Amino acid sequence: MIRLLIAIVLVVLLGAGAYVFLNRADTSDGTAPALAGAPVSSDVLARGEYLAKAADCTACHTVPGSGNAFAGGVPFKLPFGTIYSSNITADEANGIGSWSDDEFVRAVRNGVRNDGQHLYPAFPYTSYTQLSRSDVLAIKAYLFSLPKIAQANHENQLSFPFNQRWAMGFWNAVFFKSQRFQPDPGQTPQWNSGKYLAVALAHCDECHTPRNFAFAMKHGDELAGQELQGWRAYNITSDPVHGIGAWSDSDISNYLSRGHADGRGTAAGPMAEAVENSLRYLNPTDTAALVAYLRSVPARTGDAPVTVDAAAAPALASNNAAPGGDSANANDPGMKLFEGACASCHQWNGKGQQTPYASLLGTRGVNDVHGTNITQVILHGTDLRSLGANIFMPEFGDAYSDTEVAQLSNYVIGHFGNKQGTVTPDDVARRRKQL
Amino acid sequence: MLSLSVNGQSHALDVPDDMPLLWVLRDVIGLTGTKFGCGVAQCGACTVHLDGQPVRSCVLPVGAIGNRTITTIEAIGATPAGQKIQQAWLEVDVVQCGYCQSGQIMSAAALLQRTPNPSDADIDAAMSGNICRCGTYVRIRAAIKQAATGTPEILQTLVSAPQGAAP
Repeated sequence: MIRLLIAIVLVVLLGAGAYVFLNRADTSDGTAPALAGAPVSSDVLARGEYLAKAADCTACHTVPGSGNAFAGGVPFKLPFGTIYSSNITADEANGIGSWSDDEFVRAVRNGVRNDGQHLYPAFPYTSYTQLSRSDVLAIKAYLFSLPKIAQANHENQLSFPFNQRWAMGFWNAVFFKSQRFQPDPGQTPQWNSGKYLAVALAHCDECHTPRNFAFAMKHGDELAGQELQGWRAYNITSDPVHGIGAWSDSDISNYLSRGHADGRGTAAGPMAEAVENSLRYLNPTDTAALVAYLRSVPARTGDAPVTVDAAAAPALASNNAAPGGDSANANDPGMKLFEGACASCHQWNGKGQQTPYASLLGTRGVNDVHGTNITQVILHGTDLRSLGANIFMPEFGDAYSDTEVAQLSNYVIGHFGNKQGTVTPDDVARRRKQL
Repeated sequence: MLSLSVNGQSHALDVPDDMPLLWVLRDVIGLTGTKFGCGVAQCGACTVHLDGQPVRSCVLPVGAIGNRTITTIEAIGATPAGQKIQQAWLEVDVVQCGYCQSGQIMSAAALLQRTPNPSDADIDAAMSGNICRCGTYVRIRAAIKQAATGTPEILQTLVSAPQGAAP
């Protein structure tokens, strides 16, 4: 009996030891590589504003169109419930006005609130852990310079056991490592700046890196693409077929700052938000650094790989005003829908009528047989504000049934991607509920 | 300051880049022949030509136009295709309430410009994005064919000498 008790105590102690060991926080300040848009010599508020934009705090902490900057309340629908972002204005009662520097740094880099409770990794402390203390405090100074907004936080709606914040301690023990950015001396300063932007500030991995069964990023699969919140974040590794290895440097930088690269695609959905709120503000030197880093990410095929046919036969056989080369007959319902609702802006040859942003040929959206992003765009429309462009497409979710959206999506995949689309009305019904 | 070439005239305009062309045409320049219908590029009432191509002006930000030339319903009669279309429109009396018709004429003129002798399928493809609540589609189709061939397609309402009149 005594032996059993001793064994139990030992197991508990070992477990507690492992828990504490695995949850140890890196206490170093860390240093950030030079960023052209936020020189160390510049004013802390200007630096903080640039860094807050590069980290895209707005995307999650400001309800679009509300004008309540950083007051939180944006819902995130996850498989296990809905999480709401919190108020990060300097309001004492509802926001973070009473937080000390150390508390703010701990929350951003280790995912622990000022009251000691764990944050959920919907807040990307998993990426921000690499930020330098100086950068985090510049962001805090910027946030505290803005108007306080007395907006109460929204209760999360999570099912058991996900509503138990303490359980995140175990998740962190297994999947999270608190550590600062480690520059690679074997690489150029530009590459290091680009990596810091990609993995820490802009947290590209949070959407583009596939997640495992426990919703943690699979680090061996960096940037290989995944589906998240009903949208596909594409493979952005250097794979020339499935990633962006075949894109030119200017294709990538145009996509990041302008939300569009000719013959490659136009940002929509969450990526349009990232361009609008964050990437378009990057200094061109920093954008170039980000491009340099992305170029070096090892090629991976990823799940559900998309192969682009940039010369889809049916689209090439069409001109701007009339279809040609379709296997579908003229009474195909998808074709009829495209003719009435889409062709006047997108054109039958997929070149885009009013603007190259409406071009479809060569994009990954129309080459994805699952039609994930094109159904989202049809259902919810797009609104993109980027460097030099304000582009908008109306939403058709209320106008067309699930069956019609599926027919239209499959027609578009066939005509512009030269592939057999597999979109079913059930897929559309599911995606309708997302976003 | 933005410079737009509309119907052969250059306009210097102080408008935001993201203002739709339709707003600029109607409210700033004062060309009200182009109509606002749905505002989301789905009805065709706001169609104008950009370098001869039909575009929906309600979703076209003026900042995206650059130095391409704009033609509106006010000037389409000065082009050969537009002139033929307008004449056929009168002869067949296409118009009922008329609200969608400036858009219909702009789309039809663009069609005739690139396809002088359009088939039914060509007409379907070109005109599907233009909606008419009065249902004048039959007369629209007939008028386009008549404009192309010069031969009367259906009952004529405007003729130089009344048909069947006593000699």
